[in-house]
Amino acid sequence: MDKLYSLTAAQMKDLLDRKEVTSVEITKSVIDRIEKTDGEIQAYTSYNFEQALQQAAAADEKRAKGETVGELAGIPVAVKDNMCTKNLRTTAGSKMLGNFVPPYNATVVEKLLADGAVIIGKTTMDEFAMGSSGENSAFQVARNPWDTTRVPGGSSSGSAATVAASQVPLALGSDTGGSIRQPACLTGIVGMKPTYGAVSRYGLIAYGSSLDQIGPMARTVDDTAMLFKAICGKDKMDATSKDYTYTPYGDSVKGMKLGLPKEYFGEGISAEVKERIYQAVEVLKAQGAEIVEVSLPSTDYALSAYYIIACAEASSNLGRYDGVKYGFTGSDRSSLENLYISSRSEGFGEEVQRRILLGTYVLSSGFYDAYYKKAKVLQKVIAKEFDDALKLCDAIITPLNPTTAFKIGEKSNDPVAMWAGDICTVTLNIAGLPGINVPCGFDSNNMPVGFQVLGRKFSESTLLTIAKCYENTVGGFAVKEF
Amino acid sequence: MEIDIMRLAKLAKLSIPEDKVEEFRKKMEDIIQMVENLPDLDTQGSLVDPTNTMELRKDEVQPSFPRNEMLQNAPYTAAGCILIPKVVD
Amino acid sequence: MNSNYEIVVGLEVHAELSTETKIFCGCKNEFGAEVNTNVCPVCMGLPGTLPVLNEQVVEYAIKMGHAMNCTINGTTKHDRKNYFYPDLPKSYQISQFDIPLCENGYLDVLVGDEVKRIGVTRIHIEEDAGKLIHDDSLGGSLADYNRCGVPLIEIVSEPDIRSADEAKAYLDTIHTTLLYLGISDAKMQEGSVRCDVNVSVRPAGSTEFGTRVEMKNVNSFSAAHRAINYEAARQIKVLEEGGEIVQETRRWDDVKGVNVLLRSKEDAQDYRYFPDPDLLTFVVSDEKIAEIKASIPELPVAKTMRYMSEYKLSRADSELLALNKNTAAFFEAVIATGKCEPKSVSNWILGDIYKVLNERKCEITDLALTPANLAEMISLIEKKTISNAAGKTVLEVILDENKDPNEIVKEKGLAQVSDTGALNAIVEKVLANNEKAVTDFKNGKTNVVGFLVGQCMKESKGKGNPAMLKDMVVAAIEKM
Repeated sequence: MDKLYSLTAAQMKDLLDRKEVTSVEITKSVIDRIEKTDGEIQAYTSYNFEQALQQAAAADEKRAKGETVGELAGIPVAVKDNMCTKNLRTTAGSKMLGNFVPPYNATVVEKLLADGAVIIGKTTMDEFAMGSSGENSAFQVARNPWDTTRVPGGSSSGSAATVAASQVPLALGSDTGGSIRQPACLTGIVGMKPTYGAVSRYGLIAYGSSLDQIGPMARTVDDTAMLFKAICGKDKMDATSKDYTYTPYGDSVKGMKLGLPKEYFGEGISAEVKERIYQAVEVLKAQGAEIVEVSLPSTDYALSAYYIIACAEASSNLGRYDGVKYGFTGSDRSSLENLYISSRSEGFGEEVQRRILLGTYVLSSGFYDAYYKKAKVLQKVIAKEFDDALKLCDAIITPLNPTTAFKIGEKSNDPVAMWAGDICTVTLNIAGLPGINVPCGFDSNNMPVGFQVLGRKFSESTLLTIAKCYENTVGGFAVKEF
Repeated sequence: MEIDIMRLAKLAKLSIPEDKVEEFRKKMEDIIQMVENLPDLDTQGSLVDPTNTMELRKDEVQPSFPRNEMLQNAPYTAAGCILIPKVVD
Repeated sequence: MNSNYEIVVGLEVHAELSTETKIFCGCKNEFGAEVNTNVCPVCMGLPGTLPVLNEQVVEYAIKMGHAMNCTINGTTKHDRKNYFYPDLPKSYQISQFDIPLCENGYLDVLVGDEVKRIGVTRIHIEEDAGKLIHDDSLGGSLADYNRCGVPLIEIVSEPDIRSADEAKAYLDTIHTTLLYLGISDAKMQEGSVRCDVNVSVRPAGSTEFGTRVEMKNVNSFSAAHRAINYEAARQIKVLEEGGEIVQETRRWDDVKGVNVLLRSKEDAQDYRYFPDPDLLTFVVSDEKIAEIKASIPELPVAKTMRYMSEYKLSRADSELLALNKNTAAFFEAVIATGKCEPKSVSNWILGDIYKVLNERKCEITDLALTPANLAEMISLIEKKTISNAAGKTVLEVILDENKDPNEIVKEKGLAQVSDTGALNAIVEKVLANNEKAVTDFKNGKTNVVGFLVGQCMKESKGKGNPAMLKDMVVAAIEKM
């Protein structure tokens, strides 16, 4: 069969179940596709082809024997390079971990393997997930398949790019301030950040621990749900994970109340983006949804709270990279202090160092109350506002990114401008709520636009229902022929 | 507002090249100006959150990892340990 | 010590808890394993790993909190203490900052015959760090992470301690309390209990505190005693010479008996404490806290006081009995039979039995000796069925064999001879054979009676009733 790589996961599962193809055939097709296109897309920092073929063969054998197999059995999945994979290099996009080979698997990876999935490789990302463009990778800049001179967004850059370029149907991303949703938006695919605690973080190399969450990325809503179902649930290795029972979703928004918060449609959002989103809202309205206006007054402060909390946690989380136990070791071993300083100064990129310094500043003696503690109090205020707004509606619709994908290098020397782009996405991480990117057309440069649907804690099935309804109504999402 | 970038660097075990100190300071100050945009809020009290609690683990032994796996990423090892520059305490 | 000054001491004691597993992972909590074998990605702080709190650690710490009369904070959290050191693989220690599990308590300790109450500021739970082994031949240091994540409680006292002796009494009481509660091995030589010492001095009568100096590396309680006296003397000398005490941290060198400057206040670390985002708030219910409280046994100081008042034992004997949980339980079990006097039980335990325990380096519970057998043996002596010497013979048997003392007495023919006729014959024989002694007695050297009774005992093969023999010897001589 031709172009097996371009199938959705649901289509692959169907063919596999009907024994019309084997996983080895699919996997070979995917490997071939990656080998042909990844020179340009640069979606992977490590390939796992040999292991992947073995995993595929194992899945085929199970199916052939008539054993019960997981939903993802035999289906290729790409994994962001900040999730630990036993005996497979895991770099978090950093020179610091350029040669790090974990002795253990992240819980999500264990779950994928238990389900019979085929791990195809590790995807390119901004260093330690700090970035919104992919340009902070220590190794390479992943490209946007819609225009390879543009960024795919970040930090789950490679995961977005590989799915958008139809190299694989499914990828795992992680989202601390928008790192799943924003690259999904910029590459025209679906990406969901689950409720904080819905998916185990064990084995996810931490950036901002209280905000980080792993989630699915795919080209269709069904595929997104399929991957989410495989990874969600409480994990005894993660004390912050919660009991979670996956509930099936529907495809009708009839009678649903959808909130539009005016604070998210201000001047910072490009006119074209706003227009596409209003059109999408009309589509949902025509399907029977009721649109209500809601207010989230503290939105303006969310970005500050986000950067304070994320950087504070990062400054502590990244202390362990000291050149002693694993990873990059500095050039100056003349004393312990010099080993620390040389390892960290040579091993971390500039953006990471900047965020460590900011985090160190906001936690330091005399500044803790004014910054960190205040940000944590503000977090409660923001969460409360969302709670109140979500009492008036079933879900909220907002823009996802102020603009479409920009050119590589365009913003790389202006951290404040780069950081400001996260305005629509960080609020959810602050409030611990789930959110999903739904592609909704293109701008005048033919770059994808997406809208965000967010909801109450553990309301992923509501978000998937809305996304599915939109997808069905518009006749599916556009896929880039690449 | 003046940021003591050298003190922060010392705490974070980073060295900032002389010629980059100004640039770093400028970018940091821009960022801090951005995050300083916070409303007046009561920051009394502890950050404990009784509405979101965790379960504890039973005191049951799980197997440890083989030493070679735990040390496989270490740049320098000796005698089953990680070797570090001499520490005087 | 110069009596124009008063010493003020505060202590921070770290004790390792004897849980099965570490505080945040399932690795064994065990001393002395081969280097880097009790480790896993979590306790070695590998990227991506997360801590999960061991409930036993919380329970043990609450026990100590109750034992030290603290308020228990049932709703609390963990905080990260950030600093770089190669024995701390995550570069932060998971500890507790603003809400310790236990706070505002006190501990009564015995100093001489006085009870002194020492305030306890707080007890919190945290993880231990690894060990660094210094090896010159390798030109570096070796890091062993086995101890990383071993659970610790840190007990911080109020500055209520006024002398090295009080400090020693406080530390000893903590030590026995830990053992009583069964929550720590409390082995100093294995470093499972360690302390930091804060010392200041002030003019006698002053109510304001002087500037305090912290001392690290105090590795035993006796070292604490020496370190406090040294530091107090050093500070007094500085003040007497017109100098000023500066706030600093000094390192105690127990071999040389001196301390040296480690770091000044200006070099103080900025630990950047903040709540650990990997661990949520945890709640221990009031019922659970009460249940733990109900499980606390009577503790050594209370026992000592009770033994003194209830059994009229000396302070020293009471404390010795109470010091060891097993010995105290044994002592109380013997008393509970109601067969014998507490004073004799105390004498037997602290005398002959203690000697055996010391020789064999074991606990009283390691012997076959039962409280019932010891009680019976002592009651036989008290009823004058057997002599004290025969009692020792019985003890030798029942130490290692669960056997009725009455049977032993019968088998070995140890019953005391109290038959006047039989004893008279012995007395007459002994007096006849010891004319010089008899003469001496008559001449006023009455203490030779002891010698004569001894001879009578020898003649009776130890079975004679010594009290009766003494009376009979005196009466016989006087009749001569």
